[in-house]
Amino acid sequence: MIVFIARRLVISFFVLLAATFIIFVLTALSGDPLEDLRQDNSPNKDLKIADRVDRMQLDVPIPIRYLGWLGRLVRGELGVNRDGQDVAPLLGHALSATLQLVLVATVMAIIVGIVIGIVSSLRQYSGFDYSVTFAAFICFSLPIFWIAVMLKQYMAIEFNNWLKDPGIPPTVIGVLALLGGLIFGALTAGDRRRRLIAFAVGAAITGALFTLLSVTHWFADPGFGLPLIVAISAAAAVGFTVLSAGLRQRGPLYAALGATLVGALASQVLGPLLANPTWLEILGFALVTVAICVGLGYGLGGIQRRQAITASVLTGLFTGALIFVDRMLQAFNSYSQAVRGRPISTIGARTPNFVGDFWQTNLDSAGHLLLPSMALILVSLATYTRYSRASMLEVMNQDYVRTARAKGLPERSVVVKHAFRNGLIPVTTLMAFDFAGVIGGAVVTENVFGWQGMGNLFIKGLKEVDPAPVMAFFIVTGTAIVVFNMIADILYAYLDPRIRLS
Amino acid sequence: MFHARTSGKFLAIVAGGALLLSACAGNDSASNPTASGSASASAPASAPAAQTITYSYEQEFHSYNNNTAAENATRNAGPLQRVLTGFWFFGDKGAITPDKDFGTYEKTSDDPLTVEYTISDKAVWSDGVPIDCDDVLLWWASNSGKVKGFSSSGTTGVEDTKLPECDKGGKKFSLIYDKPFADWIANGPGATAMLPAQVVEKQAGLSEDDFIAAVKATDAKKLEKAIKFYNDGWISEGTLPAADLIPSSGPYKLSKMDAGQSLTFVANDKWWGAPAATPTIVERVIALDEQSQALQNREVQIVQPQPGPDVLKQLQGLEGVKTEISDAYTYEHLDFNFDSSPFKDKALREAFAKCVPRQLIVDNLIKPVAPESKPLEIRNVAPFQSNYAAVIAASGGGAAAYAQPDVEGAKALVEKAGKTGTEIKIGYQTPNPRRTAAVQLIIDSCNKAGFKVVDKGSEDFFGTVMPANGYDVALFAWSGSSLVSGWGSTYTTPVKCDGENKGNNNGCYANKEVDALVKKLNSTVDLAAQDPIIGQIEKILWDDLATIPLFQHPGLYAWDEALQNIVPNPAQSTITWNMDKWSLT
Repeated sequence: MIVFIARRLVISFFVLLAATFIIFVLTALSGDPLEDLRQDNSPNKDLKIADRVDRMQLDVPIPIRYLGWLGRLVRGELGVNRDGQDVAPLLGHALSATLQLVLVATVMAIIVGIVIGIVSSLRQYSGFDYSVTFAAFICFSLPIFWIAVMLKQYMAIEFNNWLKDPGIPPTVIGVLALLGGLIFGALTAGDRRRRLIAFAVGAAITGALFTLLSVTHWFADPGFGLPLIVAISAAAAVGFTVLSAGLRQRGPLYAALGATLVGALASQVLGPLLANPTWLEILGFALVTVAICVGLGYGLGGIQRRQAITASVLTGLFTGALIFVDRMLQAFNSYSQAVRGRPISTIGARTPNFVGDFWQTNLDSAGHLLLPSMALILVSLATYTRYSRASMLEVMNQDYVRTARAKGLPERSVVVKHAFRNGLIPVTTLMAFDFAGVIGGAVVTENVFGWQGMGNLFIKGLKEVDPAPVMAFFIVTGTAIVVFNMIADILYAYLDPRIRLS
Repeated sequence: MFHARTSGKFLAIVAGGALLLSACAGNDSASNPTASGSASASAPASAPAAQTITYSYEQEFHSYNNNTAAENATRNAGPLQRVLTGFWFFGDKGAITPDKDFGTYEKTSDDPLTVEYTISDKAVWSDGVPIDCDDVLLWWASNSGKVKGFSSSGTTGVEDTKLPECDKGGKKFSLIYDKPFADWIANGPGATAMLPAQVVEKQAGLSEDDFIAAVKATDAKKLEKAIKFYNDGWISEGTLPAADLIPSSGPYKLSKMDAGQSLTFVANDKWWGAPAATPTIVERVIALDEQSQALQNREVQIVQPQPGPDVLKQLQGLEGVKTEISDAYTYEHLDFNFDSSPFKDKALREAFAKCVPRQLIVDNLIKPVAPESKPLEIRNVAPFQSNYAAVIAASGGGAAAYAQPDVEGAKALVEKAGKTGTEIKIGYQTPNPRRTAAVQLIIDSCNKAGFKVVDKGSEDFFGTVMPANGYDVALFAWSGSSLVSGWGSTYTTPVKCDGENKGNNNGCYANKEVDALVKKLNSTVDLAAQDPIIGQIEKILWDDLATIPLFQHPGLYAWDEALQNIVPNPAQSTITWNMDKWSLT
C-alpha cells in the first residue's frame, strides 16, 4: 500500500509540474493583458502600460516567465498579481471563503442526497421514487444564477417582509397540508386504503402544525422548548435504535432513551454555560456527550453492546444538535432586531461590523449562508440521489443479498449491514471528486452571492490574463484533486476487501 | 425480490426519522416559544444600526495610495475621497472645487505662472502630526518625475514646476511653473494625492530633516527605501495595513477591511472641519447585477448598478427607493482612420456622417435607460458641465447638420466621389451587445447611401486591430474630464503614425490649426478664456469630421429614500465625494 501511494505521489508530482507549464502558457496566451489600458485615453496611458509591462514581465518570453515563476514557487513565493498585490494572502482569503461557502453545502448535499437516493431505491417505481426523480432532474437542469435570483426574491426579500407579521394565510396552510399528506402517502407501503389513511394523517398533522405556528406567530420568536426537545429526541432514539440494533433486545433502546434523558437534563442544567460559549466549548460538550453515551451503551447494551453504543452516541449527538438549534432559534428575535428585521441576507458572508454573542454571530453566518447553500444543494442533490439510487438498486439485486434474506436476517440488517456499505462504494468516487471540485470554488454562486472565493480568484486572473493568481489557484486545486483521488483509492480499499486483498 | 411488509416498516421508520431531521433543519416544528433555561436573555447585539450607511461598489479597495501607476483607479479613489483630502476635489458634476478646510491657494503671477498654497493651520493627520512641508515634498517628489523610482500615475503639469520651497513644519509653499499650464487649478495636491510623509520617513528610517534634505537634493539613492514603501507598502491584500501606516486627513478614517466583503470608515476625531454627519460608513463589494436586490433587502442603502432598462424598471418599482439617472463622463464616438482607409477622402467622411443615424442610435439604445438622453454635440465638454452650452455656441453648432441622417445627401456625395459600393470596416471591441446593435443601425442606414459597411468587431480590437490601423472607422468610448490638458494630444498630429507614436490619436488625424490651438489652450491659464478656444477646436473637428460624437454614457444610481444628501458624481471621485454629508433620517 505504501509503495502504491508513494508511486502515485511521484507520478502525480510530475503530472502536476507538466500541467503548471501548460496552464501558465495557456493563461499567458489567453488574451491581451493590456487590453483595459489600451482603451484608456488619459494622458498617463503610456506610464500605466510601462508599469504593467514591467510588473508582469510582458517583455520577457513566456517560457522564461514560467521559469521565473517556478523559481519563486520553489522559494515559497506565489508572486504578485498585475496590480502588485501579493497572491499568497489573496489565495488564503479566497480559500477560506470558498471552504465556508461550499463545504457545508456539499456535506449536506451528500447526506441528504444519499438518504433520498436509498429511500427511493427501496421504494422503486413508487410515487415517491417518481417524484424524487422528477424533482431532482428539474433542479439539476435549472441554471444556478436563476435559482439564486429566485431564492433571493422569495426566500430572502419576501420572507423578511413576511416576518414583520408572520401569519400564514389559510390557502397556504391548505396547500402545505396537501403537500404533507402527499409525502406521507407516497412514503407509506401497502394498499390503497393504507396509503389514503397515511395521506389523511399527514395532511392533518401538517395542517395543524402550520396553523399553530401561524396563530402563535412562532416565526417571529422561534424556539423548541423542553417538551418538544424531549419528544423529538425520544423519537430519534427509537429511530436510531431501530437502524442500528433493532427492537428485539431492549438494552440498546434503553441506552438511547437514557441519552435522551441525559440530554434533556443537560439542557436545563447547563443553561448558564450555554449563554455565550465558544466553538471550543461546544466541541468539548460534544466530546463529553460522546463519552457519556458510550458509557450508557456499554452499561445498558447487554448482548448488543456495540450497537447500543452506536445508537446512544447518535441519539446523544442528535439531542445536542437539537439543543444547539434551539439556542440559535432563541437568539433569532434579538438578532433579527439588530439587523433591522431582515435576518435572511442576499449577499456577502456576514453583516459588516456585526457584534453579538456566540448565537447571534452564528445566526448572522447562517443567515448569509442559507441562500447560497440552498442553491448549491438543490443543484448538486440530483447527482447524489441518482448515483446512490442506482448503486443501491444494483446491490439489492445481488446474490448475497438474497442469501442474507434467505437465511432469515431481518430486513434492517440486510439493508444497513449488507447492502448499504457496498452501495456506497461507487458514490465514494463521486464524493472524492466533488470535494476536490469544491476547493475549486463555485464560480457563479460565489459571484451571485458576493463571496470572493477561489472561483472568483481564477476567473478574475483569467480575465486579466494574469498568470500569478491563476497558477496559485491551480496549485491548490490540482493538488486537491490528486490528494482526493488518492483518498478515494484508499477508501475503496477500506470499503471493498477485494481490492485490498488482490 | 422485495419483501414489501418488512421493508415497509423499515421505510416508515427511516422516513419518520428523515422528516424529523428535516423538520429541525427547517425550523418548522410546533412549539412553545417560551425559552427554556435561564439563558433566554441574550446579550444585546449591536449591528450596523441606525448610525451606519452602507453603499455598494463592484470592486474591492486595493491601496491607500491612489497615485501609483497601477493603483490609480476608482476602486481606491472613491473610498479615499474623504479620507485623504487636499486643496481641491472633483465636486458636484465633476467640477474642480477648492477644499477650503484643507487650505487655500491662489494664482499670484502669470509670468512665470505662480500659485501660492497655504495649508490650514488646523490641518493635522489623525495620528496627530501636522500636515506640512514634508508631506508637500513627498507629493512633489512622487508626482513630478524629478526623483527617479517613484511610481506615478502621471506627471503632467507637476513636471513643469520647480521644487516647492518650504522648511520643516512650514505650511506655505508655491508652485512656480516653467511654462504656462492651463490646468493649474487642479495641479496642486488634491484629494487622495497628499500622503503622510511621517509614515514614509519612519518606514525608510529617515528623520524628517533627512527626508526634506533628500527630496530637495532629488537624491533617489537616499530615498530608495522611501520609494519602495511608497510604491508597494500601502497595497492591501484583503486587510488594511497597520493603523499607524494609514492616518487620515479627512472626516473619515479607514478602520477595517474584511477581505472580499467590506471596507469600514469611521469618523476621524482629529478632523478639524465640519464633523461627519454619520459616524460609520461601510462599502460593500457587490457585483453589479446583484446590487439592486441587495438594496431591496436593505443590506445596502446606495447602489450603482450597470444601467439597463430591466434594472431601471426593477429599481423604480421598489418602495422607498430613489432612482437617479445621470450622465457619466464616458462618451461613445466614431473615430475615422485617416491613415489607411477610404475616409482619407473628406467627402466620404461627410457622406458617412450624414448617413450615421445618431438620433436613432440614442432613441433605440440609450433612451430606454436614460429617457432624457440626446445625441452629443461636441466631444470634449460633457453635457452636464457648466460650459457645455458656451462651447457649443463657440463651435458654431457643427452637429446640427448631422442631427438627422440624410441618406439621399450621403448617396449623392458617394456617387459624386465615384465610390459607390466602397467597403467600410467598422471596428470595435467584442463582446459588446450595445455596440453590435449600434453597428447594425449604421449598416442599415449607410448601406442605403451606397456604402458597403461590414461589422468587423473583434475580441482583440484594442490589442492588435487598432494599433495596426486595421479598421476604417472605430466605435468606442472615451472618458472625459473637466481638465483640458488630458485630451489635447488626441487631436494633435502624431510624430509618426504607428502603434508606438500615435498615442490616443488612433486614426492619426492631422491639422496644423488644431495643433496650434491645442498648444494655445494648454497654456491658457485664464479659465474663462479657455471656452472660446475649445469652441474653435470643436468647430474645426466638425469641419474636418475628425470624429463623430454619439452619446454620453448614462450612469444609474439608487438609494434608500431615508438618506439625505446623496449626490452622484461623474468624475473619478464617484458618489462618495461627499460622504461626510450623508445622513440617515
